[in-house]
Amino acid sequence: MSLVLLLLVPFLTALIVLTCKQSRRAVAVAISAGALEIAAIANAMWRIRSVGVLQFGRYLRADGLTAFFLLNIGVILALVLVYSVGYLRHIPLGRFSSPRWFYSLTFLFVFTMIAVYLSANLGMLWICVESTTLASALLVGFYNTKGAVEAGWKYLVVCTVGIAFALFGTIALYLAAVKSGVDPASALDWAVLMNAAPSLTATSNLIKLSFVFIAVGYGTKIGFVPMHSWLPDAHAEAPTPISAMLSAVLLNCALYALLRFDTITSHAIGSGFSHSLLLIFGCLSVAVAALLMVVQRDLKRLLAYSSIEHMGIVAIGVGLGGPLALFGALLHTFNHSVAKSLMFFTAGYVRENFSTLRMRRIHGMARLLPWTSAGMVVGGIAIAGLPPFGLFISEFMILTAAFGTSRYFIAILLMLAISVVFGALLHHVQRMLAGKPVDLPVAKPKLLPTDFAVMGVCAVFLIVLGVHIPGAFANILQSALVVLK
Amino acid sequence: MGLIELAAAKALASSAVFLFITLLMMASAKRISTCIVLFSIQSAIMAAEILAIAYASKSIEAYAVASLVITVKVIAIPWLLFRIIKSLKASQDVAASTTGAQSVFIMAGLILLSFFAVAPYAKTLRLDEDLLAAAIALLLAGAFLMISRKKALMQVIGLLVLENGIFVAVLATTYSMPLVIEIGIFFDLLMGVFLMGLFVFRIRDTFEHLDVSKLRRLRG
Amino acid sequence: MNLAINLIQALLLIAIAPLVSGVIARMKARIQNRHGASLWRPYADLLKLFRKQDLIPNTASVLFRFAPTILFAATAAAAAFVPMLHPAALFGVSGDIILLVYLLAIGRFFLMLGAMDGGSSFGGLGASREALVSALAEAPLLLALISVAILSHTVSLSGIVLTTVQQGPLHLSAVYAFALGALVLIAIAETGRIPVDNPSTHLELTMIHEAMVLEYSGPSLALIEWASAIKLTLIMAMLAGIFAPWGMATSASIAALLLAPLALIFKLTVLAVSIAVIESSIAKLRIYLIPDFLGMASALAILAVAFTALMR
Repeated sequence: MSLVLLLLVPFLTALIVLTCKQSRRAVAVAISAGALEIAAIANAMWRIRSVGVLQFGRYLRADGLTAFFLLNIGVILALVLVYSVGYLRHIPLGRFSSPRWFYSLTFLFVFTMIAVYLSANLGMLWICVESTTLASALLVGFYNTKGAVEAGWKYLVVCTVGIAFALFGTIALYLAAVKSGVDPASALDWAVLMNAAPSLTATSNLIKLSFVFIAVGYGTKIGFVPMHSWLPDAHAEAPTPISAMLSAVLLNCALYALLRFDTITSHAIGSGFSHSLLLIFGCLSVAVAALLMVVQRDLKRLLAYSSIEHMGIVAIGVGLGGPLALFGALLHTFNHSVAKSLMFFTAGYVRENFSTLRMRRIHGMARLLPWTSAGMVVGGIAIAGLPPFGLFISEFMILTAAFGTSRYFIAILLMLAISVVFGALLHHVQRMLAGKPVDLPVAKPKLLPTDFAVMGVCAVFLIVLGVHIPGAFANILQSALVVLK
Repeated sequence: MGLIELAAAKALASSAVFLFITLLMMASAKRISTCIVLFSIQSAIMAAEILAIAYASKSIEAYAVASLVITVKVIAIPWLLFRIIKSLKASQDVAASTTGAQSVFIMAGLILLSFFAVAPYAKTLRLDEDLLAAAIALLLAGAFLMISRKKALMQVIGLLVLENGIFVAVLATTYSMPLVIEIGIFFDLLMGVFLMGLFVFRIRDTFEHLDVSKLRRLRG
Repeated sequence: MNLAINLIQALLLIAIAPLVSGVIARMKARIQNRHGASLWRPYADLLKLFRKQDLIPNTASVLFRFAPTILFAATAAAAAFVPMLHPAALFGVSGDIILLVYLLAIGRFFLMLGAMDGGSSFGGLGASREALVSALAEAPLLLALISVAILSHTVSLSGIVLTTVQQGPLHLSAVYAFALGALVLIAIAETGRIPVDNPSTHLELTMIHEAMVLEYSGPSLALIEWASAIKLTLIMAMLAGIFAPWGMATSASIAALLLAPLALIFKLTVLAVSIAVIESSIAKLRIYLIPDFLGMASALAILAVAFTALMR
């Protein structure tokens, strides 16, 4: 029942908020619905902790891994909703770009992502991942400018093609299962496939084929490098809170789907093939994204490439295998969400004040916007992977695992990439913060208390996770790992 | 009666050939509406195959899937696309970046490639080799159409052909997926086409043209 | 008995060729809402031309004078290889599709030479365009015919027809489908119909065959026109024979012998109507797009040959 509630709240909110003609009412409805949803998530996580696996009907299931990712979406949803209160003062009002459309589409987006997390059935997983693309396409093209429309089109087309390949991979896995004797009516159910995995060795060629298509398909949504062309455009042109959600939650959502398939494949034919493929994608993503970050001119595109790089690190973590690397990878997804959200929020304030995101045109931010600069410094150091913030811990774990399994090439590549990223971020951020302050085109809007709260909470999360991982959080992570074993 | 049954059986057994013919015609088509009609014919061929399977195995689920294919892919989506074309009032030219003969050659090459790709799997899995090859050919042809045609609507049609290929792959394996999943997939497809149509209008309104090869502002 | 039937077939084809041409012209006219000339008009034209004088340019040589004769002889000889009423044709045993194709090629070759020999610039223009079309059309024609020959395990046209008749319509496969597509496109190119060439135009920009025969008059022109009609009927009969040969007389019974001409008339009528409809609804291609058109035929022919190994 709690699972159905998790899905019902965002869906109903999406419909209800459309009827609120006044923006104040829309915001109020959205905030209260968000609080309700977070309460539902907390309830579901508590139930999972006590029961182990929640199941509702044939198609909804939640286990330890689900709990971890639900925590992720809950935290980011809270941050984004609070931030949006201040952000929505500044969107240009049009026929379809009003607060009620914004919140309606956002909650629809949240509904589809939670549906992905709660899918018990691989077919339903596919349907929900495809719906996340459809739900967020209108959000990417929200502003209807040339850049937004182009980014939205590219996002829609590239991701739909990618997801179509993932469907092919799903069908190949289904075929392999049925040929190995699993009952066709339940051969798409994840738990059934996990149980039957050892008997799938006979069709290993088919399973390898299926994993290749899955990696390419869902990898497109994660942003692995040959298939990443939509990511910088979409994350740069979307409204800032949506960019944060795309980077922080959607990429993790697609990663969740990939992880589900990876576990089945590893149990069926051993982890050699699938993990090698993930390592290749991870290394490519890390290398290309790090290099491209140096030459970026737009702040949000820089952050988008940083997301690609971090997803590459997560892929390397999963590909290395073993408890340490896997723990690091999952921790990294959470850390990255929080850090990237912080950076996107500061980018939003920069845009509000300077009316541009071209880093060349922004100077002297430290003097003009002291608090925003503080947020950007904290976020920048976090994304570069330096202590005392959480990303350092997770990257360190992955590096240790790389050295531990004698994968020296990967470890050195990772260290080089992180250094390049650090250099790029230092260069860009320093150029924006220092220097003679430019004239602000608009009168400086005051930072609302909500803005302070949002940045503060992010910073606190990052520091806490960087210094000492709380026991409860570590437990959630461990139970997620158990699912993946 | 026997002759009609024989003819129907023969037609169904050679549905792969009909799919190849529609692909070749799509490669040489010069207008968008031709491609939409050919896509509709492809979906109708698929629906006929599913109906044959339903008739042979007497399963209600297969009849339901066949009716879904007919309503969504043969009627609804082409109708939607035709309405978009009419409201756009744009030229129906396909804006191909390869000439007719080159496209047909490439399509023929893709068809032969798909046969070679399918050969190892068909033997070991004892599947219908022709249909599986047709599935891969549709997949590759959809990708080729998306890459080589510069109009936004042609990219949508290429995507639809690609998804058709995946459906034919499901057909070739003769194990149909649970009905709920199939309904979900069709619903997603319909929503996807609807959203893409919406975006085509937005492209036309903001850019004043429908040539996606000119959408190159965001680079790097 | 065989010899008699085969001789009758060959003479029949040569005799009815102008009628087929007349039927197509009349049908085109009707589609275009004109009344159109009589069906027997081509015969009247031939009669008129045979009674006129042959005007030969001063600069022309022997080639110009004898090219029409060679063209007619080669095309009539090719007509003897095509089965129409009976699967076996006159020289069916010792002749095959390659001989057929190259007899037609000899005729065309000499027509081109004669046109260039005539001395006018139109002749050279037509000859060069004809060379382009025929060079590109030859490969797909041979490939498509060979693909069908591979399936029938014989290279003789009558053997191919016999095999198809005996197998029945339900045994047609992908190879036949692709070969049909290729051969339809090639037929349009070889016979010089729209969209490759307009048989009734005299504009410099658009004429290919008409440019080559511009200098001829009198009996020479009659022979060329007749040969062109024979070629059209020959190719139509070949298409009908390879892809829909049922109805041909396979035995010497009276019923079969009565059915065969009726079936032939039906098939030729269907093909004539199709040609008339296609000619009235499609615009002629610009000359530089003709290689593209023939390229499509090549792709289909290659696919047909490839499928002889893939699907059965």
